[in-house]
Amino acid sequence: MTRTEHLSIKGTRDGLVLYLDPNVEFQIVLDELKHYLGESSQFLQGATVRCYAGERGYNAEELQALTSTLASYNLELSGWLKAAEVYGKTTRPSDVEREKGDESMAEGNCLFIDRTLRSGNSVQYEGHVVVLGDVNPGAEIISTGNIVVLGALRGVAHAGASGNRLATVSAYHLIPTQLRIADLLTRAPDGEDTWRGPEIARVKEGQLIVEGLAGMTWKGSLR
Amino acid sequence: MGEVIVVTSGKGGVGKTTTSANLGTGLAVAGHKVVLVDTDIGLRNLDVVMGLENRIVYDIVDVTSGNCRLRQALIKDKRFENLFLLPAAQTKDKNAVTPEQMRELAAELKQEFDYAIIDCPAGIEQGFKNAIAGADRAVVVTTPEMSAVRDADRIIGLLEAAELSNPKLIINRIRPQMVKRGDMMDMADILDILAIELLGVVPEDESIIISTNKGEPAVMDHNAKAGEAYRRITRRIRGEQVALMNLDVPEGLMDKLRKLVGLR
Repeated sequence: MTRTEHLSIKGTRDGLVLYLDPNVEFQIVLDELKHYLGESSQFLQGATVRCYAGERGYNAEELQALTSTLASYNLELSGWLKAAEVYGKTTRPSDVEREKGDESMAEGNCLFIDRTLRSGNSVQYEGHVVVLGDVNPGAEIISTGNIVVLGALRGVAHAGASGNRLATVSAYHLIPTQLRIADLLTRAPDGEDTWRGPEIARVKEGQLIVEGLAGMTWKGSLR
Repeated sequence: MGEVIVVTSGKGGVGKTTTSANLGTGLAVAGHKVVLVDTDIGLRNLDVVMGLENRIVYDIVDVTSGNCRLRQALIKDKRFENLFLLPAAQTKDKNAVTPEQMRELAAELKQEFDYAIIDCPAGIEQGFKNAIAGADRAVVVTTPEMSAVRDADRIIGLLEAAELSNPKLIINRIRPQMVKRGDMMDMADILDILAIELLGVVPEDESIIISTNKGEPAVMDHNAKAGEAYRRITRRIRGEQVALMNLDVPEGLMDKLRKLVGLR
């Protein structure tokens, strides 16, 4: 998400969403938009944009100015979003969930740990956690986002700890003591610790499942 | 300027004291001036293993609290002129010494000795903190059991946090025959988890029990397998490159018979 003082732009599956601050004068928002697009038009060229400005309505003149400003940077205003669509609770909850998934699972804060977490170490983080090393038995990672371990995950991992079932846990060698995603919990089958290649654990239809990452089409692996 | 080496493990009963005694004696045999320091206050053992129990007058708490001078508390070994023991107190507890006092003591010992080997108590509390306070490097002892390896991992983490990085590992009491049968963790399994440098592997050996009871470290016994292992470890501590001991067991008569009958 990109943010200026009264404006923010976010990329979603269905194109860009432009959030306009409903509490400031239209001209201020428009100036900021022009300035922003002037800096990054290359990057945004040709996209469709939906706008959201809370409950505020703009008059015809203002709308025209907005549309033409966007058009001058090759952006098409394709419609306005309602509060319900932005904040959830619409008639199509699955879509909203997907939107939220985009927001919380594909980007956000990330913590890199460049060492092995040994027994007794505990990492708690709001965001994603990437470990360049192993996570040994007796160590734990609790994150609100995804967890990626480039070595062997032998300890406890809890992804989506704030309740997000879209979170995933992946590791080069996935043999956790216990694995949790949101409110679901599982453990590695007893006695199975031979290496099967890198794997990813996620929630599918309310079940916590583990899949091999080798040979997988990577698209959508984070949903 | 000498070096202070702490021998630690987390779990009890894996062979810290035996390792300390053998390491210290081995280094003394090699001609170094060595002091063994027992920091297991309240549960002292090193004096027994060294066979010096009946010579204790002053102990480590007497030294750190200023009741006596360091020289008065040091007990000369009965076999080697250049080997000394600083015994733990038996009637006090771990809180009788502070990490700060241990750092001072270690600095003093370094002036006098080539090596100070510190025998750390089990656990991760005050006694452990005291033992590692003045150390320059650490040796972690484990046995091929899951529980001991877990504790070793925790200890390595704590050592790293205390900036005693690159500890070395001794795998004690390994039973080659059990490893061969797949009933015991092998070296690779342990190193996979702990991921630190291996200092040596010591096979399970009855002669250790005998030597411990007699108060004569096995490192001097040239017929004992464990003694050979400790001699190699001693040389590696001194910086030599020594191959790991060959732990392969010769096939016994029963194995040969079984093979003949086709049971394996």
